[in-house]
Amino acid sequence: MAETATHSADHAADHGHSSTGISNNKLAMWLFLGSECLLFGGLISTYMLYRGRVSDGPHPEQIFDIPFTSVSSFVLLMSSLSMVLAVTSAQRKDYSRTNLWLLVTAILGATFVGGQIYEFTAFYREGLGFSTSLFSSSFYTLTGFHGVHVTVGVIMLLSTVGILKKNRATGDKAESVEIVGLYWHFVDVVWIIIFTLVYLIPA
Amino acid sequence: MDTVSRVKSSRRRILGTLVGIAASATLAGCAQNAPQDTWEPKGPNAEMIHDLDNLVFPIAYVVGIIVLGLALYIFWKFKDRGQEIPVQGHGKPYMEITLTVVPALILSVVGVFTFRTIFDLAETQDTEIVINVTGQQWWWEYDYPVQPEHGINQPIVTSGQLVFPAGTKVLLRETSRDVIHSYWIPALNGKKDAVPGRVHLLRLEANEPGLYAGQCAEFCGLSHANMRMEAIALSKEDFAKWVANQQKAYVPPAAGTVEAEGEAVYIAQCARCHQVNGLKDAQGKPIISAPDEYVYSGAAPNLTALMTRNTFAGAMFDLVNEKCRADVWGAPSEKFGEAYLKGVTEDCLNQKDLRAWLRNAPEMKPMYAEPNLLGPSDGKYRGMPYLALTEDDIDKLVAYLLTLK
Amino acid sequence: MAIIERPDTATVPAVVTPSQAFGVIKRPVASSGWREWLFTVDHKKIGIMYGAVALFFFIVGGVEALLIRLQLAAPDGRILSADQYNQMFTMHGTTMVFLFGMPMAAAFANYFLPLQIGARDVAFPRLNALSLWLLVVGGLILNASWFLGGAADGGWFMYAPNSGPVFSPSNGVDYWVLGLQVAGLASLIGSINLIVTVLNMRAPGMTLMKMPIFTWMILVVQFLLVFSLPVITVALVLLMFQRSYGATFFDVSQGADPLLWQHLFWIFGHPEVYVLILPAFGIISEVLPTFSRKPLFGYPFVVFSGAAIGLVGFGVWAHHMFASGLGPVSVAVFSIATMAIAIPTGVKVFNWLLTMWGGKIWYTTAMKFAIGLVTLFTIGGLSGVTHSVAPSDTQQTDTYYIVAHFHYVLFGGMVFGLFSGFYYWWPKVFGKMLNEKLGSWNFWLMVIGMNMTFGPMHILGLQGQPRRMYVWTEARAGEGFFNLGFWNLIASIGSFILAAGVLFFLINIVHTAKKGKVAPADPWDARTLEWITTNPPKPHNFDRIPVVHHLDEFFHRKYAEDTATHTMKRYATAEEVIKAEEDAADAHIHLPSPSYWPLVLALGIGVLCMGVVYGVPVMVVGAAILVFSVFGWVLEPSTADDSEIDPPSVDGSTKEIAPIG
Repeated sequence: MAETATHSADHAADHGHSSTGISNNKLAMWLFLGSECLLFGGLISTYMLYRGRVSDGPHPEQIFDIPFTSVSSFVLLMSSLSMVLAVTSAQRKDYSRTNLWLLVTAILGATFVGGQIYEFTAFYREGLGFSTSLFSSSFYTLTGFHGVHVTVGVIMLLSTVGILKKNRATGDKAESVEIVGLYWHFVDVVWIIIFTLVYLIPA
Repeated sequence: MDTVSRVKSSRRRILGTLVGIAASATLAGCAQNAPQDTWEPKGPNAEMIHDLDNLVFPIAYVVGIIVLGLALYIFWKFKDRGQEIPVQGHGKPYMEITLTVVPALILSVVGVFTFRTIFDLAETQDTEIVINVTGQQWWWEYDYPVQPEHGINQPIVTSGQLVFPAGTKVLLRETSRDVIHSYWIPALNGKKDAVPGRVHLLRLEANEPGLYAGQCAEFCGLSHANMRMEAIALSKEDFAKWVANQQKAYVPPAAGTVEAEGEAVYIAQCARCHQVNGLKDAQGKPIISAPDEYVYSGAAPNLTALMTRNTFAGAMFDLVNEKCRADVWGAPSEKFGEAYLKGVTEDCLNQKDLRAWLRNAPEMKPMYAEPNLLGPSDGKYRGMPYLALTEDDIDKLVAYLLTLK
Repeated sequence: MAIIERPDTATVPAVVTPSQAFGVIKRPVASSGWREWLFTVDHKKIGIMYGAVALFFFIVGGVEALLIRLQLAAPDGRILSADQYNQMFTMHGTTMVFLFGMPMAAAFANYFLPLQIGARDVAFPRLNALSLWLLVVGGLILNASWFLGGAADGGWFMYAPNSGPVFSPSNGVDYWVLGLQVAGLASLIGSINLIVTVLNMRAPGMTLMKMPIFTWMILVVQFLLVFSLPVITVALVLLMFQRSYGATFFDVSQGADPLLWQHLFWIFGHPEVYVLILPAFGIISEVLPTFSRKPLFGYPFVVFSGAAIGLVGFGVWAHHMFASGLGPVSVAVFSIATMAIAIPTGVKVFNWLLTMWGGKIWYTTAMKFAIGLVTLFTIGGLSGVTHSVAPSDTQQTDTYYIVAHFHYVLFGGMVFGLFSGFYYWWPKVFGKMLNEKLGSWNFWLMVIGMNMTFGPMHILGLQGQPRRMYVWTEARAGEGFFNLGFWNLIASIGSFILAAGVLFFLINIVHTAKKGKVAPADPWDARTLEWITTNPPKPHNFDRIPVVHHLDEFFHRKYAEDTATHTMKRYATAEEVIKAEEDAADAHIHLPSPSYWPLVLALGIGVLCMGVVYGVPVMVVGAAILVFSVFGWVLEPSTADDSEIDPPSVDGSTKEIAPIG
């Protein structure tokens, strides 16, 4: 959530405040992401502990559609690229292009989420309900949490576009885009780890 | 010079006195013969732990008294008596380093001994007898796998009291059928959790025959406080007698007696959950209990040879009356086996609690807070339900139970 | 309640006028009455409200503790049923940790951290308000369970599988899970906020190693929270999915491993112990130097040992699990690591003692509580060392010995530290001095009561009384006059003496509010920046952001060493120091404006959580409020126009000073 610092902090430089030189918002995002690492760490550990415990339900190898998920992972990976382009455009103050790249990023992200919804429904039809087995519960919890993070990211991207368009941004626009970008890259990196551990490395 | 040394020696004397007073005050302030005292080890495992205590606690005492003594001295000495505000020094690094290194050295000594003891206590290679221990809400089941060298030729399943030979290295294989419990006989060893889905090992050994009390130490729900255990160490000869008795064939009560009527009540009311080995129905078919259909944990105490035990309901109640109980608990080590093997005779039976239990068990021991919330366990009970037995039934049942020796 | 009473002050509060063109709806504008508190983003008001909430829950948790001790005063107690007792000790632990210990530390942190670093507010004032309201919502959810079918009954560490729906079929654990998630979110937001504040908003010249020690300890704590809260959140989410949505994370019949919960819980739970104790260490590390008239001995060592405790604190969690069947190798490693953490803790105790050494000790109530902490915590620390010896711990864990240990650490440590802070900083916050005579009663009754309550528990535990038992039986209590029954009774009597001590504090609050002495500018001859302003501080804290040259800046503005006599000579009074700052006031002081959104957002999250128990429609309503308030929040600028919110000068005229370079 983009929060603007107190006014007094905006003038930190004027008063010669002792600071890190990183803006408040960005520092807060870094800390939040640090915390998120532990959140996903916990969820991934749970999954790794339980992935072999399938009860009567399907095994991971039986249901994972690696080619499909590879494509959607690639889509998400590409969105990181468009995010980088959005940030550089914003730093050049080229806001129409920023908006364009933000929209592209959001569309790629939404595609990924769509793919995940499709994947979940397919798994469900193959008999992998949320409470089928420890594997299914921990799989859905982990990937679901990630999916929610991507969805929140998409909403953030679209909101940023709206705010930029209506010119209602408070504070440094380029930095706001950069901070959304930090979050977005984090979510992507987490997916790379999840994709590798969950889909590619066999139990 | 003279004054300094005098002050020094008097300080040493004061320190020594303080240690002495604190230590003796603590000892004098303790209960005597507390059954679960952790500082009265009665077997090698608990003794190993106690040896460590004997190292760590005095160190903690001495450090504590030095630090607190120093603190009191500072509180008194540097009280504001109108002295100047001191110069604002920020500390002396060499002093800091000393005060870091000294505790580190003390702790490394403790660490070395701790390290060794941890691995000594984990030793299981030289085990002489294995007993499986299973916790469930709120009692322990003991299951002796076949071990011909100890005369155990068929599995023995019992509960309430863990009977084992003294001077023998016993290995408990612990697990649980529902929540986490913790097996703890303080006089014999530290505690070890019984975790469902896992088997944990705990070694016990008693130096002498005797009764060693314990208590479930991991919070396990409503009647956690009532989940007790007693470990009964018998001499090897007495243990052999006990084993033989547990395996002897079932003798049905003579037809027409009140005991035989009690057997019928038992079969009608109790045999669904409670097993009595060798019990047969009218057609001569063995009666096998199916507690898994009624109790969430899937187990109820096996009542074969019930009257060889001194307790019931998770050792919450005595099966013997106070006088007979005192005979067993108070028996000297060499007479203990004899007293224990007498079992529960009719004049020793604790009629009051046993009857009350049969009348309404949930009232005697909290087992489910809200009977209408049994939904999540598919309506299965935790512990013994209310059976609505008549007083007549209870009379007959008690008579029958007394035959299970 | 007296604690949030607005004290008399010569300072006119900032007049906030409506801001026209901003946000979704008009901003709140009240600068008096309840609205002033409900919609405030001022770190000081938020700090006071944190304190009031925490104090309320301290009383709730205390009453729960008294009921527990009443039940255990005699064998086979009948005051509470087994079920009620289990709820009582579960909620006592949960309340004291999550609704008293953490929020009270947050109260001090919120109020004093910006003041100590010379800032006008925290980095994110609205997030700060959100943290407070989330805590309130979390506390309400947790305690609502008492009235909605029974509270949680699995103990504060809620071990699986006993927390599952079969073993705890009431909704108590559901409320517990939800309440803790909300309270955890509050702490996470608060911790990020405070870290950014400390790292980015310190006064000019205040390098990290010139930062007051309280701020340092709070900083360490916030890092611990940032990295430990997500782990408990995972555990809570798994449990919630199991209880409410049919997952089987802790269901052994489906192959689950119950130790997963224990690991997740204690990876959070052990750093949590330091989260509770380090703020108290910070407080007394301010109080001891002030009343000894000496700087903290070995400041860098205290800083680094605090950081070391924090760091090592993440590597010792399994010492809570020595009896849970880890292999001997893990047990040995965690045992040694736990001993290692005693070293930096010992360093702190020595530094406190050496701070007093050679000082000029002034025994105020604040100082008494501080030295109470030093002595009582030492006892708790030493019994902690006996726990680190894993084999001994297998005899001690889950007995009253461990209850004694952590109450010496948390009551003798944390609570005494917080009380020291109350007496030390009360004049700063409310402009009035707490009564020292009542304070003395407060202190001595608490010392006597605390030792009577928790001292005997060492004996009870070592002689075999397990904790968490709703009754104890005479059959296991031993013989002699000093049997376990005797010590149980003493502990119960002690708990009421302790409660009487706390009662004196409450009386003191009321007394002080009614006829307390007005505090002078610098009642304690203090040392740090928060005192370079009025009591209570103006809404904008400082007229000029102070420039820092020293650790203990304020002290060095008052005193200097006379090189001839090598003694400290005072050459300025506090009033003069403050006057000098006021005379050079900054122009254009910008303060963040009040906002509805934090409160609305917190309520939305609360409703969303209740949806887990009461079904999807409730959840939808909560989500709608949540989304609405997030957008309202984002679209609202954090400050209105300069002209609208500049605090007027005392005489009411608008002061126009050219901005400083």
